[in-house]
Amino acid sequence: MTTSERRVQLQAGYVLHHRPYRNTSLILDVFTRDRGRISLVARGARTAKSRWYSLCQPFRPLLLSWSGRADLATLTDLDSTARAWPLTGKLLFSAYYLNELLMRLLQPLDPHPELFQHYVHALDRLVGLPNTGQRPEVVSFGLQSCLRMFEKYLLQEIGYGLILDHDVHSGAPIAAEGRYQYVLEIGPVPGDNDNRDAISMSGSSLLGLARDDLSAPQCLQESKKLMRAALARYLGDKPLYTRALLRQLDYKS
Amino acid sequence: MTALSPLVGRLMQALRCLPGVGPRSAQRMAFHLLEKDRKGAQLLVDVLSEALEKVQRCTQCRTLSETPACPICSNSRRDRSLLCIVETPADIQAIEQTADYNGLYFVLMGRLSPLDGIGPREIGLDALTHRLRTESVREVILATNPTLEGEATAHYISELMHQAGIRVTRLAHGIPMGGELEFVDSSTLSHALNGRREM
Repeated sequence: MTTSERRVQLQAGYVLHHRPYRNTSLILDVFTRDRGRISLVARGARTAKSRWYSLCQPFRPLLLSWSGRADLATLTDLDSTARAWPLTGKLLFSAYYLNELLMRLLQPLDPHPELFQHYVHALDRLVGLPNTGQRPEVVSFGLQSCLRMFEKYLLQEIGYGLILDHDVHSGAPIAAEGRYQYVLEIGPVPGDNDNRDAISMSGSSLLGLARDDLSAPQCLQESKKLMRAALARYLGDKPLYTRALLRQLDYKS
Repeated sequence: MTALSPLVGRLMQALRCLPGVGPRSAQRMAFHLLEKDRKGAQLLVDVLSEALEKVQRCTQCRTLSETPACPICSNSRRDRSLLCIVETPADIQAIEQTADYNGLYFVLMGRLSPLDGIGPREIGLDALTHRLRTESVREVILATNPTLEGEATAHYISELMHQAGIRVTRLAHGIPMGGELEFVDSSTLSHALNGRREM
């Protein structure tokens, strides 16, 4: 690593997670636009006088400067460019879900500028949801489709993108009225018989997911099954905590 | 270079379990206790071992207490229909100092932290629901910290309370007394604006 890379100035990013470190410091896991995910020590951030502590919250657009070792650098300056996305209630838990996915699936120091844009866009959509309709099912639909789209882009960015436009056996384009089996890590193949290792999907659902249109209830439902299976493959055995919490919230309300 | 006798070294090592105590302070403390204040050291030993033996969680509010019910929970003059939910025992101290609150407490001993796997069970929400089922509580005051995790915790508990049909309130966010607007951060100020009151 060259000297110039040791000092990074005013990098746009979001705190994904923070945890206490020593007596007065914090370790931040940050998702930055040009440097990807990185861990930073915020020295003295937990003291009463620190201006940093309130800024170190997730979902707040930040400009970060740091220097030092690549695996655990020291935060040297922190500023916020706008106020935090005003997320509350279930939407806040959903935003935490995005953070947990990024924490679990992104390799440190791997830049993903496009995914960063998708992340900001997803937060923007989540914040706007309460105004899209008063009926809970409208909000719930918006929430689900926002999460599925982010999952799709995340898989694509980390190199496990789903094939949604052609059948991998013949190379023929997906037919909206056809039935397909999505074999993970291979792609959709025509057929309707239940294969235990594949997810059964309609052609229209695959096409809907491909063009970010999950408005059909069947498409939303099948996409959820597909994404869950695809993510499970890369997440390993450890469960997603935020998913469990969201499920408990759904059960409670 | 080990000029110290092993026992002194062990004492210094043991003192380092305290927060904020590094090798240097541990050495100072050990020498102070052994050289200058042997009485104080004896007192520390006695109180520490007694406390370790007797202090447990209060069965009602989960704060630290040497009796099954802590002094606040067993005080018959406190309003039993008010329940204030806080993150740590230190928060109880802070609220008690205001002398404005006469209800009971429930200590979560943490907060929901989705990414660390700290869920409802870890912060004792089973015990809380059980308590609400057996006692008649009129109002629950959510006094978790105004951090995102504190907000997430407050939201989760408020869902539980709505289900049980109990009134839930949340501590207001605002400008500190004696503060100046110029130096208040923007999110506090926007909370204060949203929560403004008729005069």
